[in-house]
Amino acid sequence: MSDETQDATAQGAAPSEGVAEKEGFAGYELDTAREPVVVGATALFVLVFPYVFARMPVVSGILQGYQGLATLMLIWGIFALGFDLLLGYTGLLSFGHAAFWGGSAYAAGVFSQFAAESLGFEAGPVIIVVVGTLFAVLLAWGLGFLSLRRGGIYFSILTLAFAQMMFYLSSAPLSGITGGENGFTAVTVGHLFGVFELESELPSVLGTLMGTWLYAFVGLMTVVSVAVAYRILNSPYGMVFRAIRENEQRTEFVGLNVWRYKLMSFVISGAFAGVAGSLFTIHGNYVPLQSLYWTESGEIVIMAVLGGAGSLFGPMLGAGIYLYFENIVSGVRDLTVPFTDIVLLQGFGEYWHLLLGVLFVLVVWFFPRGIWGLFQDLRNRVTGGDSAAETGGER
Amino acid sequence: MALLETDGLVKEFGGLVATDDVNLTVNEDERVSIIGPNGAGKSTLINLITRRLDPTEGDIRFKGESIVKMEPHEVVQRGVSKSFQTASIFPDLTVRENAEIAALAAERGSFGFDFLTHRRKLHGVHEVAADTLDAVGLLDRAETPAEDLPYGDKRRLEIGIALASEPDLLLMDEPTAGMSPEETRSTVDLIEEVKERMGLTFVLVEHDMEIVFSISDRIVVLNRGRVIAEGTPDEIRGDEQVQEAYLGGVEL
Ligand SMILES: Nc1ncnc2c1ncn2[C@@H]1O[C@H](COP(=O)(O)OP(=O)(O)O)[C@@H](O)[C@H]1O
Ligand SMILES: [Mg+2]
Repeated sequence: MSDETQDATAQGAAPSEGVAEKEGFAGYELDTAREPVVVGATALFVLVFPYVFARMPVVSGILQGYQGLATLMLIWGIFALGFDLLLGYTGLLSFGHAAFWGGSAYAAGVFSQFAAESLGFEAGPVIIVVVGTLFAVLLAWGLGFLSLRRGGIYFSILTLAFAQMMFYLSSAPLSGITGGENGFTAVTVGHLFGVFELESELPSVLGTLMGTWLYAFVGLMTVVSVAVAYRILNSPYGMVFRAIRENEQRTEFVGLNVWRYKLMSFVISGAFAGVAGSLFTIHGNYVPLQSLYWTESGEIVIMAVLGGAGSLFGPMLGAGIYLYFENIVSGVRDLTVPFTDIVLLQGFGEYWHLLLGVLFVLVVWFFPRGIWGLFQDLRNRVTGGDSAAETGGER
Repeated sequence: MALLETDGLVKEFGGLVATDDVNLTVNEDERVSIIGPNGAGKSTLINLITRRLDPTEGDIRFKGESIVKMEPHEVVQRGVSKSFQTASIFPDLTVRENAEIAALAAERGSFGFDFLTHRRKLHGVHEVAADTLDAVGLLDRAETPAEDLPYGDKRRLEIGIALASEPDLLLMDEPTAGMSPEETRSTVDLIEEVKERMGLTFVLVEHDMEIVFSISDRIVVLNRGRVIAEGTPDEIRGDEQVQEAYLGGVEL
């Protein structure tokens, strides 16, 4: 996720004219020539992240990261990426995306069981993701159709209501399929491409860098997701979504069918949630009932806003930070002065929710464009206002 | 040929009749102005035609086809475009993108499944947008965020957005409202130029009589929702009823 910096340095070295007038632009990463850079940088990040996070000497010791969390961060990152197309770009706040996250997780799990028990084969991760995502897309089409009838706060409440209905459905009436309160335990995931065991180590240097085949698969899906999301932002849709966010009435009055574009935004974000939810099932071999609960819908909103809604990488960063607090900071027993045994605060980790809350409030107060927006501002200051994240570079 | 016809058009807000049995015809290549005192129902009439408001009674036909059952975007797709009374633009988008949004709708229709098509490939859209920005004199500011434009330029951009939808009929609701005298003059020049270049049919709502009398083929006078007079600028100038009801003390 460091493409911004690289690109800025490259541009800064070359004599650049007419850059000054671009200064201060809101900074949506939409430059037309930057696709390979964005996708390449994502791939590079995905390649080295688990090593740095979980195995690299010194660094991993400080970060306290582990392989499974690296995988989970990417999964939630995909969820956040798609969610931001709806929230940050189209300006629609859904409070019911747990329906697509949890719904696809269940669909993926139930399908894997069905394949194993009734069809007699172990479904591989690819087909599981396809099935889970299809389910999420169809569900998003239906729920979007019903929720988008109303605007503003009523839309948010409708999405919340539908998602809660899904939660109650799977907790009791459908518990025969979903496992109710216990969650769904009968997940059976086959080998990747029928060959590679997901939990087994990758060969040689790839193993050192990325660890398992599971991570490699999730990483590949992450890169594909970023590529697709970035292409969507650079397509007519990206422009129409932002137009709807800026001035919905005017968008209708230039002759665009705002209703259908909003529905598409909802469905597309549902599809990303579907990919992520299916991966979540594959990753955990289990679907908790919690995955449909409204708190999951809230978490994805917080992740997106914390990282920076309306930017490509911001929400993914937000997802990473959120999970880091939830899984690492929460486990820190005592806060000590670094490299000593002097205890500053006992039972520090228990306060992780509070800490995250404070961070969230600070970010919303002082950096409305999120932590990613803060990074961009800092970089702009360093490079003298050279905003590489710009529209209309090459036409 | 009649491009636009309204037929016994009525709009009531509660007890208030804002549009009262209006039968208006706008022919192709005609420049029609609607004048009348504040609250006469000029904006309401425009909003009825663009389908922003539902009529209480009556019919509106565009190119012979009734449009009262259509969604606003369908009316735009058929060739009716409107410039808003306040600068209704997309503030966070660049000037170019503002024009491209409208050009996109004109070139590729109200909706498409092209979410994996790169914008770079939309040559028609780029051309229309650039031409329009050139026409409204904003091409050299194309990469500026629209919100950074001075007010007069925002209004020009607003007209540009309306033009980029490639309309057959352009409705303009007080395009010079809130402008300085210089901005007003350049906007009038712009409208004149558009009139020449694009041979556009337009309906203009305007309170500045000088502008109205200089650029209209025909003037429609509204008062309390009713058409009280209709005719060429010369006829309206000489109409006593209009003098009384509206133009009162104004020097013509
Ligand atoms: N949405 C509305 N609800 C209620 N009354 C309205 C509404 N819009 C306009 N009116 C009333 O209709 C009348 C005509 O308004 P309008 O068409 O805006 O006049 P004009 O544009 O000629 O100044 C006014 O009396 C106004 O108060
Ligand atoms: Mg008005």
